[in-house]
Amino acid sequence: MISIEAHLARLSLKGDQQAFAEIVSLYQEKLYHMAYRMLGNRQEAEDVVQDTFLRIHKNLDRYDEKLKFSTWIYRIATNLCIDRLRKRKPSYSLDAQPTDHEGLDGYSMIPSDNRTPESEVLLSETQQIIHQAMATLPVKYKTVMVLRYLQEMSLQEIGDVLGMPVTTVKTRVHRGREFLRKKLERVL
Amino acid sequence: MECNVAIVMIHDYLDDELPREDKIKLKEHMKICPSCEKRFEQLQRTEAFTHTAMISGLSESRGDGKGRSVQAVAALTSRIMQQMPPARKRKPGFVDWVRRHPGLTAAAVFLLVMLTSFFVMWDQGTELIVKGAGEDLQRIIIDGDTVIVPPGVQIHGDLTIENGTADIQGEVMGNLTVIDGSLKMASTAKIIGENREINQALDWLWYKVSKTVSGLAY
Repeated sequence: MISIEAHLARLSLKGDQQAFAEIVSLYQEKLYHMAYRMLGNRQEAEDVVQDTFLRIHKNLDRYDEKLKFSTWIYRIATNLCIDRLRKRKPSYSLDAQPTDHEGLDGYSMIPSDNRTPESEVLLSETQQIIHQAMATLPVKYKTVMVLRYLQEMSLQEIGDVLGMPVTTVKTRVHRGREFLRKKLERVL
Repeated sequence: MECNVAIVMIHDYLDDELPREDKIKLKEHMKICPSCEKRFEQLQRTEAFTHTAMISGLSESRGDGKGRSVQAVAALTSRIMQQMPPARKRKPGFVDWVRRHPGLTAAAVFLLVMLTSFFVMWDQGTELIVKGAGEDLQRIIIDGDTVIVPPGVQIHGDLTIENGTADIQGEVMGNLTVIDGSLKMASTAKIIGENREINQALDWLWYKVSKTVSGLAY
């Protein structure tokens, strides 16, 4: 008995486009949410989702059915997100106010985020603080935190996705949690 | 209990991985340590806030149609599907075979290279080569591609002739080997040692190998 995904993978390997569309619809939203939380940018998140499915399609013949399909697809997606985050300019703080743009901080300069001011207000102040704190999380902590709290994966699953021992995952969750606690201290 | 131990326990508790007896110990510690108790509450709230913040932002923006609408999802799906290369005809071709059998491929390539170099070696050298002891070589006569051992001459050592005709009229005390050529023997000829003619590639190979091996042995 193989999983639905493995079955769909076999079909699309034989050239069944509909089967692949099925895989896309199963994972598109989950991947998008993850990428959006990692990158904080809609356009980039969509690009990552698209790249992930392209890679999946190209490497279907190498999919090992012993591995959970979700683990495989999340592994590819997280790697693409991490690559993008690493390529961004380092040591660029979103909280820093550039001298030539009075009153504008980095957040207002992130392009192509479609959130309107109205929807911004809808987010509670606490949530905004959390999102800002999340944005400053170092990549290695951010990855485990997103997988843990958004995808609600177990420590073992996170280890499988990231290819690291559970003990490392645990340490990163602990450190990430402490990092956020310090950032959120005044609202807690 | 030390506070740093307690903090590790708090995290394990939040990971749902703290054994029952440690839970009791942690509870005892927090009763007498207000800073750890505060830390515990803060971390618990951090955890809860993070969880809700991660999830709610997304569903909210979809709910009011400002974020990821059904149309946006469908648009991305069709964009992804358009990017897919058209269905590949997957006849298990040569490349697939090679990919699946790396060992056999390596062996085949090795064999091919060996055979090629072997036949290249076999083909090259159409010129006459005569091997033997120095003093013996002075006594033989070379006429075109014919090597003549004149009547009455005694060759003491071995004699090897490649790509030529051996015309033996005298005596050869050692072995006589003719490679890729022919041997003519006069009635006066006398060969004490072994007399071999090698003309086929495999014979030649065997000759080379046995010579190498015996060369190693001595």
